[in-house]
Amino acid sequence: MRRDCLLCLVVVLLCIVGVAAVYSVDPLREEGLVAQSPFGRQLLWNFVGWGVFALFRFVDFQWFLKRSWIWYLISVLALGGVLLFGESDETGAKRWLFSRSVQPSELSKFALLLFLSWYLSVNRDTLGLWNLLIKSAFLVAVPAFLIFLEPDLGTALVFGVLWFGALLVGGWRAKQLGILSGILLGLLFPSWFFLRDYQRKRILAFFDPWQDPLGSGYNVVQSQIAIGAGGVFGQGWLSGKQAQLRFLPARHTDFIFASWCEQLGFIGGVILILLFGILFWIILDTAIRTRELEKKFFASLFGLMLLFQVSVNIGMNLGIAPVTGIPLPFVSYGGSSLFVYLACAGVVARIAWEAEEGEKQRWT
Amino acid sequence: MWSEELEERIRRRIVLLFWLGIALFCILFGRLWYLSILRAEWFQERSERNRVRVVFLQALRGNIYDRNGFCFAKDTPRFRLILLAGSEKEGILQRIEGVLGRKVTFSLRERGAGEMVLLEDLSLEDVVKIEENREALPGVLIETYPLRSYELGEVFAPIIGYVGRISAEELKTLGKMGYRTEDRVGKSGVEASYEGILRGGEGYRRVEVDALGRVVRVLDFRSASFTRSVQLTIDAELQKASYEALGKRNGVVIVGNPQNGEILAFVSKPSFDPNLFSRGITVQEWSRLIQGTSNPLLIRPVQALYPPGSLFKILIALAAQEEGVVAPREVFFCPGYLDYGGRRYLCWKREGHGRVSFEDAIAHSCNVAFYTMGLRLGPEKIARYAKMFGFGEDPHFDLLGTRTGLLPTPEWKRETLREIWYPGDTMNLSIGQGYLLVTPLEMYLLLCAVANRGKVYDPHVLLRVLDAGGHILQETKPYLRRTITLRPQTWDTIIRGMEKVVTRGTGFNCRGLPVRLAAKTGTAQNPQGREHSWFGCFFPSDNPRFVLLVLVEHGGDGSGEAAQVARRIIEWILRERGV
Repeated sequence: MRRDCLLCLVVVLLCIVGVAAVYSVDPLREEGLVAQSPFGRQLLWNFVGWGVFALFRFVDFQWFLKRSWIWYLISVLALGGVLLFGESDETGAKRWLFSRSVQPSELSKFALLLFLSWYLSVNRDTLGLWNLLIKSAFLVAVPAFLIFLEPDLGTALVFGVLWFGALLVGGWRAKQLGILSGILLGLLFPSWFFLRDYQRKRILAFFDPWQDPLGSGYNVVQSQIAIGAGGVFGQGWLSGKQAQLRFLPARHTDFIFASWCEQLGFIGGVILILLFGILFWIILDTAIRTRELEKKFFASLFGLMLLFQVSVNIGMNLGIAPVTGIPLPFVSYGGSSLFVYLACAGVVARIAWEAEEGEKQRWT
Repeated sequence: MWSEELEERIRRRIVLLFWLGIALFCILFGRLWYLSILRAEWFQERSERNRVRVVFLQALRGNIYDRNGFCFAKDTPRFRLILLAGSEKEGILQRIEGVLGRKVTFSLRERGAGEMVLLEDLSLEDVVKIEENREALPGVLIETYPLRSYELGEVFAPIIGYVGRISAEELKTLGKMGYRTEDRVGKSGVEASYEGILRGGEGYRRVEVDALGRVVRVLDFRSASFTRSVQLTIDAELQKASYEALGKRNGVVIVGNPQNGEILAFVSKPSFDPNLFSRGITVQEWSRLIQGTSNPLLIRPVQALYPPGSLFKILIALAAQEEGVVAPREVFFCPGYLDYGGRRYLCWKREGHGRVSFEDAIAHSCNVAFYTMGLRLGPEKIARYAKMFGFGEDPHFDLLGTRTGLLPTPEWKRETLREIWYPGDTMNLSIGQGYLLVTPLEMYLLLCAVANRGKVYDPHVLLRVLDAGGHILQETKPYLRRTITLRPQTWDTIIRGMEKVVTRGTGFNCRGLPVRLAAKTGTAQNPQGREHSWFGCFFPSDNPRFVLLVLVEHGGDGSGEAAQVARRIIEWILRERGV
């Protein structure tokens, strides 16, 4: 099967899981298909998102890549705008623009992916030099810091991981990476003092959620209960007690994996993890196959971002990663995240298609 | 520098990233396995605990019957309105008033699992109105609950007792036995004494709640049940007749069978309505009960202490006969007083009884004769005989809250009053006055001992325990507490004397009844007012089946009011029960 079609299929399946999972915890489900309900919106975003997917699948990637400075600047400006004019959500964090319709921090992920792959490939001759490290670190740090101020530690962390990943796949020597990791780890301890109270509590709760099961450990505990209570086959579609009786917090966003597993059990969870695994494999396979450096970078960095988000999100659902507001790609309720991932998937599909076309030409 | 080597390194890095990803996916898989397969049961139980709340429903209490099947106390179903946890309150209250069509005062009592009791003791009409408007009243539930109701409560309250909501202190001790804050518990009388038998099985309602504690649905339900009833030895009609025989007077009536210890009537007046307690007594009602000096909550037959007066002379006479301090055919002379130790001790009859034989001394209750006998016996012997007959000792009655009287001895006086015992004390004791205090039950037991010639059975009110279907589970067997062995002629003489009380002596008010009656009157001096009037008897005296004790508070002379009351009761027994 052609790689781009396989990728398309896996992403479609993931989106279906997402829509179904959002439907299952939709508070307005009884009232049928309503545009305001999470389910209706997720469906709508999927339609729009697949348009975005098609756009990136059929329009030449280079056009976007060459203008990545512009995307980068726009995203930094938008993030600055969030801090100035943004709207807060329930947790009190300012993350939104335009009456809570756009989350610039999500969109800036895409901009950063484009920008990093363009920047590294343009500077391919100086790859592996400390000079480039400083420059790229600065360029990543600006949006990451703006996001950190929102505060949205999770997304800021994604940026950091992307930057480190860029250095990793950018071919930095192991020794250099080792020194860098040492410095970063050294910085980890003082950074504790810059965290907000709720962020610290979450990290503490991660180490022992059962200490305070009704307070800071509540969501970790409830999510594990949901998954565990699901058992092998789950409690059945639309009948997960934890999610339906609303013991599980953030059921359609951060903890959607838990409500999915509660309904469909171990089997459902494994299917979801497998889908992500296959997607990850296709993306990295594409990264290896393509011969152009910027596409290699884009695909592998996207793979890394996907891996990071999936493992942190599912990890926190399973109680083995701290609770950070990182959504589950394609599945969690939310338009911005879905658009970004579908756009990226569109790009990777195009890269895969181009690589296959290239291979065919070489063989014939 | 861009090079082939760098390109190869980039490829290797991507492969590294790939394996890193696989490793992470494996960790997620492993953890998922652990949670949803290895620990599934544990988490399922946690999930249950999250969502399921249990509301316990009050246990039903068993019925209390008299010996002929009359039902003293039973649980009757009542309806109450409760608001389930997490429901919105203010609007609902208004809507309930709208549905009922009138203003109501809600009790708004919180109870377990976040539920709230809105209204209690709903009328059937209201129940219908609310059921018809179910849709408009979400979160409102009609629950049946048992209300203890007492037939002829005032008459039987001293023996049956009453129930009330468990108090905080009681909960501390009874909590281990499964009692809960809302439970009813017997507070006095049979209700308290046989609490363990009467308490039935509690029911429950399991509900599913959401994260906010709102009830989503009722999962299952078990209604409360009652397991055992008790049947008492009390004869309800006799008790009622006895209660009425007292008329307006306060006092005590005990009727029982000396041959097995069964108590047939147990009247204490004034009394109270136990129904007040079962539906929750109001402050006004409570203050009305405890105001004044008559104290209706006092169970007089076993909790109130009186001087026995001349009734105690029975014991002195027994002791004197048995100890031989009275010569056969001895004649006492009563000039109306006895001088002893420089003081003059009066007989109740100022002009004196003149020459009286031993039996006449009993019949006329001559103080002088008993002063003489008491002095001859001495306080130690009197105390020994009194103990032999159970004075100052636990009467082994099966009702809780039984007190014992005060039997004064020289030793007692030395220890508590730090005074020596004077012969005057002995003389006072000989006529049942002075320091001596008894409960009516103790006097009743003395009469039983004489009636049964020394065989004393434990007094009891429990006849049998019945199961839910009315089958007998357990029957009380008469327990022979003590056998007092005296010479037969002692018994004969005393009983003859007591018969003469009726035929020739102070018991003239009971003369002419168609049964051989042995009796003794008593007049208990009372510093607070008019004397208490005692009358004790048993009949038929050759084979006594009834022992009757009457005490009329402030009834004056024992030969007067108490004897009249006794006569009415004896006549009732002869007419309705036969001998």
